[in-house]
Amino acid sequence: MNGGSSAMILTEGVTKVYNPRRPDEVVAVAGVSLHIGGGEAVALVGPSGSGKTSLLSLIGCMSRPTSGRVVVDGRDVAKLSEGVLTGVRRRYFGFIFQQYYLIPDLSAVENVLLPLYPTGMRFSEMDGRAGEALARLGMAHARHRKVRQLSGGEQQRVAVARALVNDPPIVVADEPTAHLDRKRSEELLDQLQELGRSGKTVIIATHDPLVYEHRLIDRVVSIRDGRVENGHAS
Amino acid sequence: MMRRRLKILEYAISSLWRRRYKNLAIIVVFALTISILGSILLLTQSLRFEATEILKDAPDVVVQRLTAGRQDLVPIELAESIAEIPGVGKVTPRIWGYYFDVISGANYTLMGIDESTRPDMELLEGTLPTAAATCAIGAGVGRSRGVGLGDELILVDSRNVGVAFEVVGLFRSESEILTNDLVVFRDRDLIQFFNFPPGFATDISVQVYNKNEVETVASKIKRDHPETRPITRSEILRTYAAVFNWRSGMSLIVFFAALIAFCILAWDKATGISAEEKREIGILKAVGWETSDVLELKFWEGLVISITSFLIGLIVAFVHVFFFGASFLAPILRGWSVLFPHFRLLPHIDLYQLFVMGFLTVVPYIASTVIPSWKAAITDPEEVIRS
Repeated sequence: MNGGSSAMILTEGVTKVYNPRRPDEVVAVAGVSLHIGGGEAVALVGPSGSGKTSLLSLIGCMSRPTSGRVVVDGRDVAKLSEGVLTGVRRRYFGFIFQQYYLIPDLSAVENVLLPLYPTGMRFSEMDGRAGEALARLGMAHARHRKVRQLSGGEQQRVAVARALVNDPPIVVADEPTAHLDRKRSEELLDQLQELGRSGKTVIIATHDPLVYEHRLIDRVVSIRDGRVENGHAS
Repeated sequence: MMRRRLKILEYAISSLWRRRYKNLAIIVVFALTISILGSILLLTQSLRFEATEILKDAPDVVVQRLTAGRQDLVPIELAESIAEIPGVGKVTPRIWGYYFDVISGANYTLMGIDESTRPDMELLEGTLPTAAATCAIGAGVGRSRGVGLGDELILVDSRNVGVAFEVVGLFRSESEILTNDLVVFRDRDLIQFFNFPPGFATDISVQVYNKNEVETVASKIKRDHPETRPITRSEILRTYAAVFNWRSGMSLIVFFAALIAFCILAWDKATGISAEEKREIGILKAVGWETSDVLELKFWEGLVISITSFLIGLIVAFVHVFFFGASFLAPILRGWSVLFPHFRLLPHIDLYQLFVMGFLTVVPYIASTVIPSWKAAITDPEEVIRS
């Protein structure tokens, strides 16, 4: 893998506070500055509650920082309107969630199609892309099966296919191996490594050594209490 | 842009299909509401239309006489005086009255005709009465007394003596709405039956050559004969309309409670956006749907449900009113305490009323679908998914 030089993602003093100025205020991310290059694979590592998922959400434009800057491919996304921010999210990011966040009553292919609906793409093209994404993850056989009928591993692969169907330059994954056995985890990491090889930036929040010790990872960033403890190449 | 819209519509339909049992229940309740509301509006409109059609051949002016503020018999010589007013055509004294039939508990309208003038009345079968002790009857009277052509109809006269009349004619009309309770006799027989003093009639019908002059003629009659009350055809029509409007208004008020209950149900359903739906909105946002896409999705969902329900409800209302004679509502709107007319209403639809009804049901439903989703749609996807 490579440590990209030009910054695909840059965070400067990013802070995220939940329920600000209330008794239950939580500072999830406290002044984090990061530089992630294009094509780089970074693991955000830390125990539960350390703030790595919140940082991942900020990087992936899923939420806005309370203060600080998040720059994606040269654009300060913290100041963008909601519509433009969604556009950035759609163009740059593919998300793999810890809980998969699939719609259980839809089939595998219908879930994978979700990011394509607002693009106005022809259905034949949409269907082709979704089928291809599923096939790459070995899920072509299950394309018309309802997601709730699939095993955890299969659901994970559908979630990955959905993340990749738009061919985004950045793939963001939150604890992707949390519900997988070792064999499935290694398969998933190999697939993510393939993405890295094709030049995509991969950012993974995890506390699983199998992930952050995998050859896929270029750099591990340790997070504790919402702050960066260290950042080094693996 | 259009393709994008169609894609979101396609997703909306698949989304509705996923929750088909819940949505089907909403469509059933919604369509039922529309069908009741639609039935009332269609029936009222048609009755008004029927009345207009039937009364188009009614006299231009009917002259009554008032004594102490109450209707009284009219001296027949008054007809000669009215006939001298310029612009007045045929003037006919009419003999008629009401009769309460103890046997059927119904009110009949008894009407006398001058057998020499042969008034334009449509009969189902038989003839108009020309001989003594004969009559022609409306279908409702025939049904209530179980009599038909050739049978005897026995009525009790003003001297409390039973009089037998042979039924020589049965009425048909474009609509039974006016002839249902009618019994027609020769003038002379009815004068005798009611024991009218000689030289008096119930009222006088007046024909006016120029229809624009009807009001002027009516006011001249009133000026020359202050004891009279001239009633124009347009006034009769307005009275009919007012009666039907009043009845439909009452029905609508009763129904309004049900409508409000439905709105509360719809609002509750919509505002109570489930955790599952909220999470779905979060997922859609996370995978790149804009707030406007999510709201458009909800708009399509609301539109498909409400338009489908509206059309189904409207078709049910149409079939109910025009094919089944509004069997559930007619007794409320038609009146007639005992003798309900049997008639087939002619389809007549007021597009403005339909538009108003659609606007007042479809729009609130769409709003109640879109607005609650707004909050979830404008919130950061991470927060929505986590909640």
